[in-house]
Amino acid sequence: MNNDYFSYMAEVFDRSQVDKKSEALKGIRVLDLSHMIFGPKAADVLAEHGAEVIKVEVPYQGDYWRSATYWGKYWKHSNPMWHFINHSKYFVGIDVKYPRGKELILKLAEQSDIVIENFASGTVEAWGIGYTQTRAVNPNIIYASLSTFGQTGPSRFFPGWDLLAQGTSGVISVTGYPDTEHFFKIPDFFGDFYPGFFAAMLVMMALNYRERTGEGQYLDISQAEILMRSLFQFTYTSATGDDLERTGNQDPTVSPSGIFKTADGGFVALAVGTDEQFGSLCKVMKRNDLATDSRFAEALERLKPAHAEELHRIVAEWIDSLKIADIRKIRETCRFALSEVEDDVSISRDEWRKERGSVVEFNDPMYRKLTMAGSAAMMSETPGRIKWLTRPLGYHNRYIFKTLLGLSESEIRQLEKEYVVGYWDYRVGQRPPVYYNIEKDEIFNYGGESDAE
Amino acid sequence: MPSKEKVYSRHMQNKGAVKRISEWSSILSDILSPEGKPEALADTVVLDLSYANFTGLIASSLFAEGGAEVIKIEPPEGDPARLMTPYGKTVKGTGIPYIMESRNKHNICLDIHDETDRDRLRALAQKADVLIETFEPGLLDELGIGYRQLKEINPSLVYVAITPYGQYTEHAKKLASIPWSDITSQAESGMAALVGALPDDPEPYNWPTRAGFHAGGYASAVSAVCSALMALFFKRRTGRGQMVDVATADSFSSCVGFPPTIGDIWKKPRPRYGTLDYGLCPYGFFKCKDGYAAIACFRDQDFRAALRILGLWKIEEEWKTLLDRITDDVEKAKTLNREIEQAIASMTFDEIFKKFQAFSIKVARSKWRGGGLPVTTRMLRPREVMEVDHWKARNTFFKVDDHYYGIFQVPVTGKMSKTPLRIKRISARIGEDTEQVFKKYGIK
Repeated sequence: MNNDYFSYMAEVFDRSQVDKKSEALKGIRVLDLSHMIFGPKAADVLAEHGAEVIKVEVPYQGDYWRSATYWGKYWKHSNPMWHFINHSKYFVGIDVKYPRGKELILKLAEQSDIVIENFASGTVEAWGIGYTQTRAVNPNIIYASLSTFGQTGPSRFFPGWDLLAQGTSGVISVTGYPDTEHFFKIPDFFGDFYPGFFAAMLVMMALNYRERTGEGQYLDISQAEILMRSLFQFTYTSATGDDLERTGNQDPTVSPSGIFKTADGGFVALAVGTDEQFGSLCKVMKRNDLATDSRFAEALERLKPAHAEELHRIVAEWIDSLKIADIRKIRETCRFALSEVEDDVSISRDEWRKERGSVVEFNDPMYRKLTMAGSAAMMSETPGRIKWLTRPLGYHNRYIFKTLLGLSESEIRQLEKEYVVGYWDYRVGQRPPVYYNIEKDEIFNYGGESDAE
Repeated sequence: MPSKEKVYSRHMQNKGAVKRISEWSSILSDILSPEGKPEALADTVVLDLSYANFTGLIASSLFAEGGAEVIKIEPPEGDPARLMTPYGKTVKGTGIPYIMESRNKHNICLDIHDETDRDRLRALAQKADVLIETFEPGLLDELGIGYRQLKEINPSLVYVAITPYGQYTEHAKKLASIPWSDITSQAESGMAALVGALPDDPEPYNWPTRAGFHAGGYASAVSAVCSALMALFFKRRTGRGQMVDVATADSFSSCVGFPPTIGDIWKKPRPRYGTLDYGLCPYGFFKCKDGYAAIACFRDQDFRAALRILGLWKIEEEWKTLLDRITDDVEKAKTLNREIEQAIASMTFDEIFKKFQAFSIKVARSKWRGGGLPVTTRMLRPREVMEVDHWKARNTFFKVDDHYYGIFQVPVTGKMSKTPLRIKRISARIGEDTEQVFKKYGIK
């Protein structure tokens, strides 16, 4: 390695320069009509990279995820697990139930590049803010409809979410130990978040196409189908005729592999993907005899079930003789995949993730300090960034209505009186934190009390 | 809208809505066929140098499905990822996951340790828009073909590096020689710690457990492509390229976001929760007479509806509100779960489904919002998924019929009305396209 490689890269990705760098999606406007996790996360990824994302919610009700809770806990009168799905967005409260509300939403759509929604299929069309109506006012719009089963096919109107998508796609049936009745789902709504990133990726393909041709389009994005795209089991079954049973902690594509327990009760994951890596493992285990054993010397032999079992047993015994401190030492020189099993706390405290920016301690003027996930991929010229945490329902009403829709203070007040636009209910998750003086907030009161003109 | 379709909404009944939905449905009727349609990334050239790393292979596959010309570059002896396959089973010597991710790619051989081949790579990199590599950090830099050197000959190149810990920080430097694997990606990013049986279950079932597919690999690949496409968009507007750096040890935590925030606020890691859920109860798959059925109750009204249907109304008093059903007390959650389990054990999935569906449709069409929307689905195994009419109607499984590799199915998604993702061919023979690619790009 060139000696200066890491210092050169530290400069290329210098975290202290992030705010001075460009944003990839500056000038792109996204109308976020979505709720819960799948849709909001897709829009959030775009917001993180500079798109102006306007999230529309029903006044005095809002996105249900605002008030959701784990174990009855809240943080500063908000759901802490709502912030990292809805940061750096603009929050407006418009009720689509009223014709005037629908009109305002379509006016925003007219000025947007992208619309994202994840209601049950067909709902936005029924409401009059779907693709057909949006296309009529903005022919080059990229309109993304996200749902569990998709917008076509016999089950298209079937409601769903993370758990149903994981169950119906095969994900749950392949996770766990063979011959047990426990089938595990992937926690933390993986079936919403991962498809959310996938949806953002498809939107980016559409945006690149539009940049080249000027043409928008309609995207039918199914979360169950995205999960299915990620399983090799279908191809395996169709090519071999066999089913792949659950394999517990072993990855059947690499051998040895597994999650093991150390002498002092720690857990470590280990995997050997190539013959070269296997050589390194044998050396570290001081078992060079294995490197030349015909059962183990080559990858395809190592993977055969009986051979893989034997190797797994040997590795399990070896790790059982080590302590976590030994594992850490081995990691500095080994050339195979070896890691500790990390948990919520260790991840939140890892210094390297903070230096890297994948875990961020963000300081927000309204909520103060919150530790949250940073970008999933780092970009040297246009790094993603968190600009603000979430805001109360309707917080940006004045700002957006005045700057984008040209409404005056008195027009806004009239709309408020008619409940076409509105704010938060005094519920946790919707309202500002109690210590925060919203009356003095310049963005919330954007443009002052009286009509400017 | 075909009248026999089951609709779960009262909004779809009125006249204007019916008209709009039928117009929208006619747009959709054309969405499933890619035939004759343009490709989103038809002008994009991607070089894939990934080595023994599925995150890289998946990333370039996604580009290729979007229409990019993807040139997969591997050493003459082949990418070791070819042999990462369940139980060592291959089709003509190539592993099944590798074949599955060889969508629309051109396979060429270059030896990065040979100076002539490095010149060829430089020539290709000059013409490329995106380069994906997964070598140990600094390896290509040392060979004179890393980001630092390639950006000099192609300033608009988007250079994507995928490794466990990324290209900067002391930690990444110290552990640079550790290669990628899916299981360590899952373990280090907080996924494995949350999957597995309850703490008082027997070992090793209560140990951290892996997701039974390459969940870490896919999560990282999708975020890599998402950022690379943003970089490509930025390049279209400014002409400037950049580097995208993916650390796969972040795959789960950066995707779902829960671990860092919960770890910091609660100061205590969550224990493994078996088939229970951290947030809701009941929320999971329960064993019925002929399989496993989902019972998921978000709101009190959903819970009440489920109790009525399952004949469990007698327990309503005790579990009335979401606060009564909070899952911080595992024993309590287990108790409620057992009630549901017992009620369901004697029912077939079809019985449960029919009752839930009839109830939901009636409620969803009513103006009264307090009725709940109990919804269920069956847990399916991969073989069963492939037989579902809905996915057949959506062409979710593409049948490959290759004269060399034979007949098999691969899942595909990305239904875009103008530029749908698609599989044009799947072929993965070592070096099969070297000559043709060299000729196209004038490489000697």
